[in-house]
Amino acid sequence: MTRKFLTSLVFATLALLPGAASAEPWGYTDGTGNTVNLDAVPTRIIASQDAAAGLIPLGIRPVGIYADSPVADAKALQGLDLTGIEIIGQAWGEVDIEKAAALAPDLIIAEYWPLDKAWSGGEDVVNALSPLAPITGVTQGDSVLALIEDYEALAAGLGADLSKSEIAADKRAFETSLAAFKAATSAKPDLTALAVWAGPDALYVAATSGAAELVDFKNWGLNLIDPEIADDRGYWETLSWENADKYQPDLILVDNRQAATMETALAQPTWTLMKAAEAVAVADWPAFWLRNYRAYADELDKLTAAINAADENLTQ
Amino acid sequence: MVSAPASVVTTRGTALALGLFCLVAAVVLVAFLSITVGARPIDLQTVWSSLTAFNPQSTDHRIIWDLRLPRTVIGLAVGAALGLSGAVLQGATRNPLADPSILGIHSGAAVFVVLGVAVFGITQLSLYVWLALIGAGIAMLVVYSVASLGREGATPIKLALAGAAMTAAMQSVTSAILLTSPRTLDEIRFWQVGSLAGRDMAIFVQVAPFLAVGVVLALASGRMLDGLSMGEDVARALGQNVGRSRAMAGLAAVILAGAATAAAGPIAFVGLTVPHVARAITGPNYRWILPYSMLLAPILLLAADVIGRVIAPPGEVQVGIVTAFLGAPVFIALVRRRRLATL
Amino acid sequence: MKTALDASGTVRHIRRRLAARRRLVTLALLAVLALTFAAALYLGDYYVPPGEVVRSLLSPLTGHVDKGIDFIVLNVRLPRATLAVLTGMSFALSGIIFQTLLRNPLASPDIIGISHGASASAVFCIIALGMSGLAVSLGALSGAILTALVIYALSWRGGVTAYRVVLIGIGMAAIMSAVMSYLFTRARLFEVQQALGWLVGSLNASGSDDIAAMAGALAILLPATVVLVRSLDALQLGDDTATALGARIEAVRLGLIVVGVAYAAFATAAVGPVSFVAFVAGPIARNLLAGSGKGFPQAAIVGALVMLASDLVAQHALPMVQLPVGVVTGLFGALFLLWLLVVSNRAGRVN
Repeated sequence: MTRKFLTSLVFATLALLPGAASAEPWGYTDGTGNTVNLDAVPTRIIASQDAAAGLIPLGIRPVGIYADSPVADAKALQGLDLTGIEIIGQAWGEVDIEKAAALAPDLIIAEYWPLDKAWSGGEDVVNALSPLAPITGVTQGDSVLALIEDYEALAAGLGADLSKSEIAADKRAFETSLAAFKAATSAKPDLTALAVWAGPDALYVAATSGAAELVDFKNWGLNLIDPEIADDRGYWETLSWENADKYQPDLILVDNRQAATMETALAQPTWTLMKAAEAVAVADWPAFWLRNYRAYADELDKLTAAINAADENLTQ
Repeated sequence: MVSAPASVVTTRGTALALGLFCLVAAVVLVAFLSITVGARPIDLQTVWSSLTAFNPQSTDHRIIWDLRLPRTVIGLAVGAALGLSGAVLQGATRNPLADPSILGIHSGAAVFVVLGVAVFGITQLSLYVWLALIGAGIAMLVVYSVASLGREGATPIKLALAGAAMTAAMQSVTSAILLTSPRTLDEIRFWQVGSLAGRDMAIFVQVAPFLAVGVVLALASGRMLDGLSMGEDVARALGQNVGRSRAMAGLAAVILAGAATAAAGPIAFVGLTVPHVARAITGPNYRWILPYSMLLAPILLLAADVIGRVIAPPGEVQVGIVTAFLGAPVFIALVRRRRLATL
Repeated sequence: MKTALDASGTVRHIRRRLAARRRLVTLALLAVLALTFAAALYLGDYYVPPGEVVRSLLSPLTGHVDKGIDFIVLNVRLPRATLAVLTGMSFALSGIIFQTLLRNPLASPDIIGISHGASASAVFCIIALGMSGLAVSLGALSGAILTALVIYALSWRGGVTAYRVVLIGIGMAAIMSAVMSYLFTRARLFEVQQALGWLVGSLNASGSDDIAAMAGALAILLPATVVLVRSLDALQLGDDTATALGARIEAVRLGLIVVGVAYAAFATAAVGPVSFVAFVAGPIARNLLAGSGKGFPQAAIVGALVMLASDLVAQHALPMVQLPVGVVTGLFGALFLLWLLVVSNRAGRVN
């Protein structure tokens, strides 16, 4: 407890020091090309839950976080120390403007979703917060690694010391995990994988290009099967449970945002029409929530183990 | 005209009984369709051999047994329950708008399921059954007792108002929970649309006792509903205990609607529309309206489910959507044709 | 002769008493509304002393500026409370117009499908077309108007009767709900949340442009309502021949329906389909008036009050979570109506 407190104190001081010491102007250009310019490095930051998950492990502690669910349920924030951070929103579209104002923020950091043309939290939250301070942040793209690197650049600009031992260790751990993942995929060139979300009404097969981490996996050598017809937004193919065997991968990745998804899948009698499901070649798909090296490394390790255990010749 | 010749009555009775027989045949037909038609094309021969000589190695056979049979059985049961509960509610409240969703029974069931998912982390459909039944029962109890207060008892207008109030209150609670818990929203959005897919026989086994009790109670209340339909004073003059008749009919409706909602989610339009169609065929006699509703509703529900399975391959459209689109126009046509305000 | 004089004297006496009751109810409602408005300006997580609130309100005149406090009072609390009052009035008037025309307390736009039309259209805009902001509001507006037209057209059979409108409205509501449920299962969670947030209705981030649009709409709709209601009264009291009267009444009724839809549509576009305000305002106002008036202005004040008070509760009831106003109006209004049913011994006289 004391160590944790001391660590956060050190982080807080580190975050404060550059701003206090140098009165030099600060600027950041987000993915949409908009630049935010401030007279000094911002130290009082309000972050969306995802931005907080990206920044806190890099040593940037926001003064306030807004989430779209109870913070305890937010997968991205799991395992992060949030003591002393004011939670100013725990419901979709709702944020306590007065609490936010009392925090006197000098910057709002969110994520930009180009497809929805929206900042995280949605328009209402942005409209509520933007009179208090300018809003900026990284843009969702086609790689989680790139997203984390964007967070590194943003954090460095905000005065974080990325060479600090803990932060550097996280990054090294990720690089080790990544190397192991690449080795595993190149050892099994014929292994195919399918990312799914299981609903009570249907099996949803993910299109690789719809999820940044799936694009990463593909680039690192995993043969992900792409659905034939994705929906009009390019995210899913919806398969009736009668057609659950339309694709036969060697390994199935199941969305792990909620444990219930796996339970739903197992409860379906036709789940095991997929040979991989019958052989229990099933692994977690960390869908949409990865924002830092440590979480990514953990998930990659699980995947690597699953790939090593899988039979690449289960299906042709 | 005052006293119809006995032969006319008998002819009408025979015609209605014949009609009932035709409906049974129609139920068998849609059940057959529901087993043979699906998102995955399976030819008739395979369907037949799966029924006569089941081979667990055959994917097609497994789909017939694991998916289509349970879904057909549940569809028949849920349909019958919804049709009966709508007819009983309309008769007991003498209210053309009476329907499990209008009287707040669906929303009561929904709020308990949502609470179960959000607070206790329940995710198995089999546990939804109990939650839905409890919620439906409480909602109906509150709505009915509130509407019965006052001198004139539960008049149609007071029942409908109390039901609407209940629905609004429950929907607010539901929305509050869903907004603060995306985890629950993700679970519930598939349940609340109303669907027969992904239900196995265990669910049927769980709701079957409730359905049996509900069906017996409902069919037994036909004579009382006929008495009520002549007005409460006439019913009393005929020696009927109006309060007890209503209570029994209400209990039947709650059990049926609660069990149906638990098994398939809130399917809104069947209970409202089917009794009106039945009444258009049979005339105002509940001893006929009830069995007709009980047979017409599963026909509508299963036909809707079959349509939903084939219109958006390789996926499916949930039955709740299809029934709304099939049932609502029928209902609107009926409203335009007949005077419904007098029940 | 004497009895006739007595009778007219009694009528005058009753009229006076009714007018007095009307005035009393109106003044009392206005007083409560003013108090609630003051509370809305004072309450909040950011503590501002009452004196500072007043000073901040007067700052445009005095020129005395305190940036932090002025932001809270003038940019957060004042617009929020103002929009609550305007939309509450709007919902209430829409509700009482329909309830009066269709002579049925069930017949408010949130029951007979008009709000559902607005909602389904908005959800379609958000999920299928990926729209946000003003585009969604415009979508909701056209959805409400289109649904109302369809209901009216389907109910038309040599005239429109109340029960047909109500029943067909409920049919439309079911279709629209099904459309929404279907869209919900076809979208990503992100969009579903966005849509659900819109559906519940919220006063969060009320801006001056919302208020301007709402005030502009009311500036046209309020006088129109007064004129139409007066002429409806006059027609119903007048002694023209039945047919000519019938045609003119039908025209006035159509006019009132258009106005009623417009109230609901503009308010829904501004804050989303906040449930139950339209439904309860009329019955509450008429219950308070106890037969001393039609209750249009009083219902408007009740609507504003329900909206404003519900928003206060939504913001401050739970310490960590701020809820959208629609959650509380539903709960509040529903509980009030249940209570109304409990205390009302006169069956069927709820409106």
